[in-house]
Amino acid sequence: MIYVVLAFLAISLLLYVLLAGADFGAGIIELFSSKENQAINKKTVYQVMGPVWEANHIWIIILIVILWIAFPHYYNILVLALHIPLTLVLLGITLRGVAFVFRYYDAYKDSSQILYDWMFKTSSLVTPIFLGLTMGGVVSGDIINPSQMENHSFLEVYVHSWFNIFSILTGFFYAALCAFLASVFLIGEVDDTSKSMYMRKASIATIVVVSLGFITLAYGYLSGIAFVVDFISNIWSISAIIVSGILLFPLWKSIKSGRRIISRALAGIQIFFILFAATITHFPKILFTTTGSISIYDQPVPDSVMNVLGISLLVGGVLIIPGLFHLLKSFKLIKLLER
Amino acid sequence: MENIDAARLQMAFTLIFHIVFACIGMVMPFFMVVSHKKWLNTRNPIYLTLTKSWQKGVAIFFVTGAVSGTALSFELGLLWPEFMKHAGPIIGMPFSLEGAAFFVEAVALGFYLYGWKKIPETFHWFTGIIVGISGVMSGILVVSANGWMNAPSGFDYINGEFLNINPVKALFNPAWFTQALHMTLAAFTATGFAVAGIHAYQVYKKRNVELHKKAFKIAITFAAIAAILQPLSGDLSAKDIAERQPVKLAAMEAHYETKKGAPLYIGGIVNNETQEVKYKLEIPNALSFLAFGDFNAEVKGLNDFPKDEQPNVAMVHYAFQTMVGLGTLLMIAGMLFFVAKYKKKSWFNMPKFWLLFALLAPLGFVALEAGWIVTEVGRQPWIIHNIMKTKDAVTPMPGIVFSLYTYIAVYTILTIAVTWLMARQIKFLNSVKTNEA
Repeated sequence: MIYVVLAFLAISLLLYVLLAGADFGAGIIELFSSKENQAINKKTVYQVMGPVWEANHIWIIILIVILWIAFPHYYNILVLALHIPLTLVLLGITLRGVAFVFRYYDAYKDSSQILYDWMFKTSSLVTPIFLGLTMGGVVSGDIINPSQMENHSFLEVYVHSWFNIFSILTGFFYAALCAFLASVFLIGEVDDTSKSMYMRKASIATIVVVSLGFITLAYGYLSGIAFVVDFISNIWSISAIIVSGILLFPLWKSIKSGRRIISRALAGIQIFFILFAATITHFPKILFTTTGSISIYDQPVPDSVMNVLGISLLVGGVLIIPGLFHLLKSFKLIKLLER
Repeated sequence: MENIDAARLQMAFTLIFHIVFACIGMVMPFFMVVSHKKWLNTRNPIYLTLTKSWQKGVAIFFVTGAVSGTALSFELGLLWPEFMKHAGPIIGMPFSLEGAAFFVEAVALGFYLYGWKKIPETFHWFTGIIVGISGVMSGILVVSANGWMNAPSGFDYINGEFLNINPVKALFNPAWFTQALHMTLAAFTATGFAVAGIHAYQVYKKRNVELHKKAFKIAITFAAIAAILQPLSGDLSAKDIAERQPVKLAAMEAHYETKKGAPLYIGGIVNNETQEVKYKLEIPNALSFLAFGDFNAEVKGLNDFPKDEQPNVAMVHYAFQTMVGLGTLLMIAGMLFFVAKYKKKSWFNMPKFWLLFALLAPLGFVALEAGWIVTEVGRQPWIIHNIMKTKDAVTPMPGIVFSLYTYIAVYTILTIAVTWLMARQIKFLNSVKTNEA
C-alpha cells in the first residue's frame, strides 16, 4: 500500500507543480507585461483558469496531508527547518487567492482594481520563489538534524537551511518554470494578435529557464552540494534532464504550428522529467541535512495507517478524477479531438 | 510574550477568522440553491438576481475559507510539530477525506459559477447542491478531527508511544457526532441570522424591498429551524462532556466543589482566587439533571482536579454563558419568525420587526465563537486530552510572536476587505433593476 500512497504523493506533487505553476506563471507574465497586455492577460486568466483555479491549488493540501499521515517523521523535519519560507508561501497563497477573487467578483470595477492587480501579480511571483526556495532547501544539505538543533544558532537552524545561494537559484528557477508553463498554456487560448505576445513571453521564459537550470546545476556542482554531484553522475537523472532539454525542439515546433494540445503535453512531460531527475537519484532519500540524507521511509507508520490512507486515496481518486476531467472537458480546456 | 502564548494566539486568530468564512462558504450555497430552484419554478427574475448575487458571496467566501483553511493545514505542522508528528497518522483520515470532499466542492463550484447557459439547467442547479453537501461534509470531517483531541481514541498510549493505531476508530471517536451536530447547526444558525439580518436591514431602509424580503425568508427559515433544534444538540453535548471531560464541565459552570444535586449557575462574576461566583442566578439541582439526567447526580468540582490541569475558569464560564444566552435569544427569534409567518402576517409590515432581525445579525457568530472558546480553552492545558500537553507540542522555533503580528495584520486587513466587498455587493444589488437580470 505504501506504493499507492507514494504514487499519489508523486502525482500530487507533479500536478501541483504543473497546474499551480501555470497559475502562478500567469501572474508572473502579467507582472512583466505592458499595460495593454496586462489587460489581455487578466481577461484570459479569468476565462481559462477561473473554473479550475481552486482545483489547481488543492493538490498542495493533498500533498501536505499525505506527508503528515504517512511520513510524519520526514514532515516534522521539513516544518521545523523550513518554517520561515513555508510561512511566506502560505502568506503568498492567501494574498494571491483573495486578490484573484476580489478582482473578478467585486461588484464595481473601479480604482480598487489597481490594488487587487498589484497584490495578484506580486504574490504570483513571490509565492513560487519561496516554494522553490523550500524545494532547494530540502536538497541543499544545509538543514540541521532536529536532534542537533540545540547546538546551533537560530540563523543556522532556521535561516541558513533555506537562505543559501543554491536554494535561491532554485527559487528563481521554479518561478521561471511557472512563467514558461503559463505562456505555453495560454498561447492556445487567445486570438492571433495576443498569440504573438504569449509566444514572445514563452521564448523569454524558455531562455531564462534553461540558463537558470544550467547555472543552478553548475553552482551546485562547483560548491560540492552532494545532491547535485550525485545527480550529475547518475545516469537516470542526467538522461531525464537531457530528454527534457531535447523536447524543447519539438515543443517549439508545435507551438509555432499552433498545436496546442501537443504543446501542453510536451511541456507537461518536460516538467515530469525534471521532477523525475530530481527525485530518482536519491530516492527514497530526498532530504539532506548537514550530517547526511534522510529517507522518506525512516520511522515508518504502522500498516494500519498506511492501508487506510491508501484506500481513502483510491476511493477519493475514483470520485474526483472523473469529475475533474469532466470539468476540464466541459469548459473545453481539453480539446482532445482537435488538432 | 512566551513562544507558546504567541503560537496559541496565532492559532486562535486563524481559527476565529477561518470559522466565520468557512461557515458562510458552507451554508450559503444552500440559500443559493433554494433561490435558484425558485427561479426555475417561477421564472421570477428577482430570484435570478438574488441567486447570482448570493453566488458571488459564495465565491468570495469559498475562497477566503479555502485559503485560510490551507493556512491552517500548514500551521498545524508549523506551530505544533510535536503534535502533528504523533497525531498526524492517527487523525489523518478525516483530513484526507476532507481533502476529497473539498476537491468535489471545488469541481462542483467550478461548474456552478461558470455553468450558466452552458450546461443543462437542472444539472447546473444540481452542481449547486453538490457544493453545499460537500461543504457540510468537509465541516463534519474537520470537526471529527477536533473531536479526537477531546476524546482521543483509536490507539494505545504505552510508555509515551502511540501504538496499535486504528484510524477508522479515531475518525469515529466518541465526540465526533455530538460536536459535528452542534457545529453544523451552529453554522446554519449563525450564517442564517447574519444573512437574514443584512437583508432585513435593507428592508428596514426600504431599499429594493421585494428582493430583500424574499432573501430574508429563505435565510431565516434555515436559521430558525437550526436555532430551534440547537438546544437539543447542546443537551447531548453537555451530557457527553460531563462524562468525558468533567473538568471542562466544571469550568463551564464555574463549580469549584464536588456536589450532589448541583445547581445551575446563570451569569455571575468568577473570582478564581476565592473560588466564588458572585451575582449569579442559581437553579437548584438543574446542573445534575442536565448533565446526568438525575436531579441528585454528583457533579465533580474543579477542586477535585490538580491545579495544573484546570483551564482558565473565568474565560470558559463567560464564553459558555455567552453561547447559551445568545443561543436562547436566537431560538426565540426563530420562533417569532414562524409566528409571524403563520399567524401574524401583519408583523412583516412593521419596521420594528425588520430592525430586530437586523440587530440580531452578528449574534449567531458571537455565539459560535464563544462555543469554540468553550471547546478549545476548556480543553487546556491538554492538546490531546489527558495524553499530550499543549506546551509539549509547540514548535521550538523562537520568535513566533513576529509571525503572530504578521497574521494579525493580514487577517485584519482581509476581514475589513471582505466586509467592504460585501457592502459593495449589496449597494450594487440595490442599484439593479430586477428585470435587467
